Amino acid sequence: MLELRIAGRDFGQPVLGEIFATVERGDRICLLGPSGIGKTTLLNAISGIDQSVPKEAVLGRDKVRVGYLFQEHRLLPWRTLSANLRLVGASSQQADDLLGQVGLTGYGHYLPDQLSLGMARRAALARCLAVEPNLLLLDEPFASLDPVMAGELKKRIVGILDAHPDMAMICVTHDGADAEILANRLWYLAGSPARLQWDDAVGEPRSIKELLGKLRNLDLAGS
Amino acid sequence: MTPGTGPLRRSRPPVWSYWVVLPAIMVLWAVVAGLIQSPLLPAPAEVLDTLVREAGSGELWHHLGATLRRVVLAFALAMTLGALIGIAMGRSALTNALFDPLLVLLLNLPALVTIILMYVWFGLVEVAAVMAVVINKVPNVAVTVREGARSLDFRLEQMATVYRFSRWQRFREVWVPQLFPYLMAATRGGLALIWKIVLVVELLGRSSGVGFQLHMAFQVFDVAAILAYSLAFIAVVQLIELGILQPLERRSSRWRQPEAAHA
Repeated sequence: MLELRIAGRDFGQPVLGEIFATVERGDRICLLGPSGIGKTTLLNAISGIDQSVPKEAVLGRDKVRVGYLFQEHRLLPWRTLSANLRLVGASSQQADDLLGQVGLTGYGHYLPDQLSLGMARRAALARCLAVEPNLLLLDEPFASLDPVMAGELKKRIVGILDAHPDMAMICVTHDGADAEILANRLWYLAGSPARLQWDDAVGEPRSIKELLGKLRNLDLAGS
Repeated sequence: MTPGTGPLRRSRPPVWSYWVVLPAIMVLWAVVAGLIQSPLLPAPAEVLDTLVREAGSGELWHHLGATLRRVVLAFALAMTLGALIGIAMGRSALTNALFDPLLVLLLNLPALVTIILMYVWFGLVEVAAVMAVVINKVPNVAVTVREGARSLDFRLEQMATVYRFSRWQRFREVWVPQLFPYLMAATRGGLALIWKIVLVVELLGRSSGVGFQLHMAFQVFDVAAILAYSLAFIAVVQLIELGILQPLERRSSRWRQPEAAHA
């Protein structure tokens, strides 16, 4: 579906090195790595936000509809939830349905800043779904949520992925436990400039922990 | 520190405090005018008489209307052009570098010079009059809007890119709400500045409008007429402020302080 051939990306100093990888339909990738390593930079490169990354570096993006869940909700604060969803192409009826899917039935006429963090993030997730994406990019979707809310959101995301088997997902996280629930494939970004140190399918949940432990130790030893 | 005296807890002043200085000046004016009995300082009642007489004869409305028409036209043109230039300069460093020296020049160009040049080059015509006002105002609007365009939230820009907003959607839904406070600031300053320049334009080269009437009154030292026309137009500008600008501002900033729905 997507083929990454990113030559690198620097902001004054190199952040990303060469990244070669493919993303297939149904891939549920968890992107892990030390904080500040460039995970969001990689998502931005893939999504096309980062216009200094040439088009040829992300083959197939033109055919992909991207739903991007940012760390902040990034809904337009002067528009209601329903209007925010309609802006990306949902009909008024679809907007209500999507808000229902993320547990916000009846909140269509609220402004984003009237909601709690967790609710606003779910509303932003509804907007991701409004574009009928086949690639879902999630940037630390569980950060600063309490464990109960984070767990609930995880279940919703798994539910969405199960309902759309053709949809691919790349989820930035720093918690191996997220990967156990969400991922069928793991990317580990590390080094300077950062490269994918690991790109493989996920086996047993237990092995993720062991693998991450090894990768993190490797990282420490390397630096 | 006792409550209410700290710098952060400044309490609202009592209502009566707004009604002290201006009425006091009115009284002083009336007293002085009564004492010196000179046509160069008519009493407030005389000014009111003049106002009523001019309104009765229709002259006042004719000239107020002419001035208001020029103000509205010049204002609309200056805001549109200034906003477009400001956005372009705020969004592109190259555009900014190209046009910034010109902007500085225009900002420092006295209004009178533009007015004279426009009349000399294009004759004493309506287009020249309105253009002169627009040229005077555009740089101020551009500078204010440029600040706004520079502070546009890049996070929302990225969002608009990912979700493939059309140019129009990006402008209408993402930029305009963020630029609104800057546009309001430009409007506030603009209205006050523009009507003052319009009066000069009328005084120098038009045969209608408040400025023209001031010119006529000046020739015969008719101070009552000068004050009557000035006060009438100040009242019009205040009406625009209260009737249009403030409601517009309240409506558009409602989203800023929404009541929390659920926590």
